Amino acid sequence: MGVRGSWPARAGTGFVRACAVAAVTLLIPAVWAGAVVWGIAWGAANPWSWVGPLVLVCVGTLALARPVCRAVRFLVARWSGTAIPSGYRQAPPVTRMATGHWWNGFDYHRTRRDALMDQRWRLRWKDPANGRDLRFTAIAPFMAGIAACVPPAGVVLAAVGLGTGTPAALLGLLVTVASSPYAWRPVVPVAVRFLRPSATMALADRVNELTGQRADATVAQAAEIHRIERDLHDGAQARLVALGMSLATVERLMETDPERARALMREARAGATASLAELRDLVHGINPPVLNDRGLVDAVRALALDSPLETEVVADVPGRLDAPVESALYFGVAELLTNAVKHARATRMRISLAQDGTGLVVETEDDGRGGAVVRDGGGLAGLRRRLAVFDGSLEITSPAGGPTRARIMVPCESL
Amino acid sequence: MRIVVAEDLYLLRDGMVRLIEAYGHEVVGTATTGPETLAALREFRPDVAVVDVRMPPTQTDEGLRAALAARAEVPGLPVLILSQYVEQLYARELLADGSGGVGYFLKESVFDADQFVDALERVAAGGTAMDPAVIAKLLSSGSSHRRLGGLTEREHSVLALMAEGLSNQAIAGRLFLSDSAISKYTTSLFGKLGITDDGSNNRRVLAVLAYLNNP
Repeated sequence: MGVRGSWPARAGTGFVRACAVAAVTLLIPAVWAGAVVWGIAWGAANPWSWVGPLVLVCVGTLALARPVCRAVRFLVARWSGTAIPSGYRQAPPVTRMATGHWWNGFDYHRTRRDALMDQRWRLRWKDPANGRDLRFTAIAPFMAGIAACVPPAGVVLAAVGLGTGTPAALLGLLVTVASSPYAWRPVVPVAVRFLRPSATMALADRVNELTGQRADATVAQAAEIHRIERDLHDGAQARLVALGMSLATVERLMETDPERARALMREARAGATASLAELRDLVHGINPPVLNDRGLVDAVRALALDSPLETEVVADVPGRLDAPVESALYFGVAELLTNAVKHARATRMRISLAQDGTGLVVETEDDGRGGAVVRDGGGLAGLRRRLAVFDGSLEITSPAGGPTRARIMVPCESL
Repeated sequence: MRIVVAEDLYLLRDGMVRLIEAYGHEVVGTATTGPETLAALREFRPDVAVVDVRMPPTQTDEGLRAALAARAEVPGLPVLILSQYVEQLYARELLADGSGGVGYFLKESVFDADQFVDALERVAAGGTAMDPAVIAKLLSSGSSHRRLGGLTEREHSVLALMAEGLSNQAIAGRLFLSDSAISKYTTSLFGKLGITDDGSNNRRVLAVLAYLNNP
């Protein structure tokens, strides 16, 4: 967001911004200068008089580094619209493990209080972002602070010139007006370059993210296997046992009571049909046959045909994708369709699938009553987790009164 | 009838052949993969073929695609598709050419051997035979549901049975009603849906399916 408007307005805004940049970036150097003055005032020759200033410099620098960086980030975001990720460590939840110990994301502790204290200590002082912040506070005064000092220095020169009645007044004014629109600008590239998370921090974040996803995937997989086992055990297996018993009875009854034997046979056949239907539903829930046969687009078309909604499918996806990606997207669309029927009470839905050079985008829009939110443990949160495994994303806009729009994006190479 | 059986699982293929032969029909050829199926359909030109959807080498819808390809070469070549699952999408593809002589059934329909062989004969005669599960899905899809809203419950069930490919007489038998009652229902539901009834059972069923197939 650049500064628009007339020249005086730009100069005025620039002057205010330059003053802000100078004040923020030169805060820590000012502390150092104050400490030096203090030391000299107590006696430069006596080493003991430097103890106080030294403590002031250390404490001041460490305490001010993070607020200064936050302020610069805020100013840059406000003026240029560039959001610089801070990369500070976030507090993981403190949880009690089965052993009775408390896990704070870094270490185990006997009590919750210890765990919280240790966590706070680590977050504040063992954060790799601290080193970056210190480096920035050392660099920023030279690369942005000094330039930002020019307009206020011009004002000072003008004031001195006015007081003494020399032409320096005019020169000072000229310097201020000419430099104001530009003097604050160096802070933006400097902040972008030196204040973003370093490669190591980004890597550490990515490792944490992946660790979380792996844990999620393991839990989800175990739950899925458990569900399949239970469905088979209670459904098809039980029915087959019943079928076997019926057939054994029929064998016995064949001679003595053919009429009852025939009735039992009919029952057995019905049982076999029912267990086939159960198995079919189970298989459909694991890997829908059309998805296996034809791929994502036709599977979504089949889904649309089976839905009670009037559904329009527009697709522009050449070729097949990786099976896991197809599966995640398919179940994503299924979830959105179900939500549209169950929660939004929609009657129509439009699904579009498109692929460009960077990824695959699935968009849905219904005519329901909206108000969908992503709740922890809800279907949409689960969908987001499943997509995260492929670095995919889910965006939902659903104002009360509708319509609900969803956008699923999964990066993949062009085919 | 001369019949080709295309099914990759030995037990099912063998059972099907024995069942068909028990009813006095002749199995002239069998196939176990998609390409073999297409070749067998071309070579034997059977009165009707029984084709499984999923077959090697890709274990996808090889059988269905072979059947559709054969029907593109020989329009109206009677094919009965058997599958572990039924999909509206596949039913719509089979019906799309509107030439009849198609069937689409769940594999367990073979359990009722009489009905299965009856369906085979209907398909061989150029009729259609659809699994009740397929018709239920066609009837309950979004657009059908809206258009069929004006039918009474009885008309709805008559329409469903008609779409399965049954004649008026067979529908009367299923619903325990008289033939004349059924023809009264068919006349009124055709009037409501705007389908012309030209008397021929086969063309009438195709008209109903075309109506349902129209998204």
